[in-house]
Amino acid sequence: MGNVAIARGIIEAGCHVVTSYPGTPSSEIIPAVVQFKKELDLNTYIEWSANEKVAFDNALAASLTGKRAAVAMKQVGLNVASDSLMSSAYTGVIGGMVIISCDDPGPLSSQTEQDSRFFAMFAKVPVYDPSTPQEAKEMVKDAFELSEKYQIPVILRPTIKVSHAKQSVKISPVQMLDRQADFKKDPDRWAATPKYRFVLHKKLNETLKKIQEKFEKDSRWNYEVGTSRDVPLGIITCSVSFVTLLDILQELHLEKAINVLKIGTPYPFPQKRVSEFIERHKTVLVIEETDSVIESQIIDKRRVKGRLSGDIPLQGELSPDKIYEILAGVLKKLGIADLKEAGDRKLHQLIEGLDIHVRRPTLCAGCPERAAFFAIKRALPKAIYSSDIGCYTLGLNMKAVDTVLDMGAGITFASGFYHAYRQDEKDIPIVATMGDSTFFHSGTSSLLSAVYNDARFILVILDNEITAMTGMQPTPGLGIRADGSEGKKVSIEELIKGCGVKWVKTIDPYDVQNLIKLLKEAGKYTQRNDGGIAAIVARHPCLIRYPDAWKEHPVKVEITADCDGCQYCLDYFECPALYLSEEKDRVEIDRNFCVDCGVCIHACPKAAIVPLEK
Amino acid sequence: MTDMKIQIILAGIGGQGILFSSKIFSELGLKLGLDVMGSETHGMSQRGGSVIAHLKLGEFQSPVIRTGTADILYSFEENETYRTLRFLKRGGLCFVNLQDPGRFDPKVLDYLKKSGVTFRSFDASGAAAKIGSIMSTNIVLIGYSVGTGLVPFKQKDLKNILESVSQKKNLEINLKAFEIGVREGKLLKNPD
Repeated sequence: MGNVAIARGIIEAGCHVVTSYPGTPSSEIIPAVVQFKKELDLNTYIEWSANEKVAFDNALAASLTGKRAAVAMKQVGLNVASDSLMSSAYTGVIGGMVIISCDDPGPLSSQTEQDSRFFAMFAKVPVYDPSTPQEAKEMVKDAFELSEKYQIPVILRPTIKVSHAKQSVKISPVQMLDRQADFKKDPDRWAATPKYRFVLHKKLNETLKKIQEKFEKDSRWNYEVGTSRDVPLGIITCSVSFVTLLDILQELHLEKAINVLKIGTPYPFPQKRVSEFIERHKTVLVIEETDSVIESQIIDKRRVKGRLSGDIPLQGELSPDKIYEILAGVLKKLGIADLKEAGDRKLHQLIEGLDIHVRRPTLCAGCPERAAFFAIKRALPKAIYSSDIGCYTLGLNMKAVDTVLDMGAGITFASGFYHAYRQDEKDIPIVATMGDSTFFHSGTSSLLSAVYNDARFILVILDNEITAMTGMQPTPGLGIRADGSEGKKVSIEELIKGCGVKWVKTIDPYDVQNLIKLLKEAGKYTQRNDGGIAAIVARHPCLIRYPDAWKEHPVKVEITADCDGCQYCLDYFECPALYLSEEKDRVEIDRNFCVDCGVCIHACPKAAIVPLEK
Repeated sequence: MTDMKIQIILAGIGGQGILFSSKIFSELGLKLGLDVMGSETHGMSQRGGSVIAHLKLGEFQSPVIRTGTADILYSFEENETYRTLRFLKRGGLCFVNLQDPGRFDPKVLDYLKKSGVTFRSFDASGAAAKIGSIMSTNIVLIGYSVGTGLVPFKQKDLKNILESVSQKKNLEINLKAFEIGVREGKLLKNPD
């Protein structure tokens, strides 16, 4: 997998410190680094940090001591770490420092389609853009060299189709760099005041110029495929679009009809190289993901077709079908070839006509978060539900989630909603939901600010003792570290109290009736003059991570003849183990999914779901 | 053998072992001395939503398969089959896990036949459930495809790979599931 190749690159480069906060499509990097460390018996320091900024700063500090450091995150994680990134471009680094920011065109698993290459331009740091896992591994190593030589942080930007691509990858020996931490004090640089920042900015611009010259001459990451003379069409491309294009050209035997320029280092931009390529062609197509970083840096765009010129959609992933379609359009216009339509229209029409039910992602059968959401909807049906990023975003399906903005906004939105209504002297119930990992990531500053400004809402921490959505990474609450060793546990209850919340209760959400009672009590507390924010920690382990957790007290259920097929349970409980039997017109249990959690007993208004008599 | 080029689509829903199936074919490719490329869905879509894996064995540059070019489609779920049929090329092979083979849309079947697609459906889930491991549906279906003799993979090769990639606790059941699949596939080949 691409992320494993990236991890191997980090290890081969002799990197000493690796930090990260999980997020699709970056999450597999750290576990792979841990595995290589163990296999090779290395002394690498690896950590899951509480959030991306924390991860960034930890890695950067290591670089300041002369060690090599890498930090990995998803593209929106770079937003969180951006404060550090911007500043570190000015101060620079000592040991090589590589930032891996995995982009998600589509988006398939993110809240935005933002392009990390633009972030590199914005922060003024070089960026590498790999097309395959193999190239990603080699680029990581080159990025460390570049970073160290020019004392500047460097970004590697794999897209999801590189991070999650599979490829047989050739490995190389591991470089052993014996470096002792040696931080050399230099306050003018490391603690610069605005006056020196100006000096550092000037220096940064000079460094970028040198790197640009290097990238102009580079032929390892920027090169042409096909050097036919006098062909009218040239294509400039990058990332996975490049290899997708190569496969299509080969399939259509068009390799000789089109020249391709691959750009692996889009910033600082190899301007001369690109201009020279454009001059040789009548029309130049720019195919890039996710945004128009290459196209926007081209000075003379008269012959250029791309996203900015309206020839390629401004949003969305460039699938092979999309690239084929774009190519077919341009080739037809230029009279080079008339490609047949991609796909099979007849088959498409036949299948469209079937009206197939598309399965949406749902919370797993037995998920404790479903139990909590069900109780919240029951106890406070008219509340505004502000939520957050994680599996529990899927509470949307149960209509128990109204907002999801970014990491931490479950609490800040609750506070913002409260004050907006309070201004009009209106008190409305508000329930904020947030997972344990998200709370550690960015819940505390939101919460203490809400306490300080006397906002009133109910906060429910959905604590499943793991970062579930991204693939079961441990949290500070669990106290297990990235390499499996024991760290120090951080208590969520103490943290909430530390933020100034006086009303904090813990409950197992499987205990639905008592959770409903507790939520009502919490609601009253938020309305009392001497009240405040009420926090409930709904704690039950994730069943994927701890599959034995429910086996301890199984509650096997059955559905009696009282079920009249009203589908209340399907609409408001939405367990994948419950389905409507069309023949019998009533709900039945799919034993392949059911985990015997017994929570659905509370989800039937007709009391038709009952414990199975033994 | 080394100039072999095969593109495989594996489709189903979260929890059906799509990624494990993809691993099996990747290892097979490596064993045959072929380059292996592919891509998989992770994250949100794994929570019971659609999961699709692309696998390309042989000389390819890109990890993604274009519509109308896949050689083989394995689908472990009925609706996902309809959604992924578009990947198959004319003359491609399709193996589908269907509890009730009679339920598949006859118009689509008819059209596939005209396009030269070989369509084979089999109740792999049922067979897996019989040996008490519904989770092995994927392996039953893969075994089935090998049994039919329609795919260019050797039974022995796949068995060896199952032995090397299965977790210890699942090895026995995986091998059993594979054998049942192969047997059913062979029955189809020689229907007497």
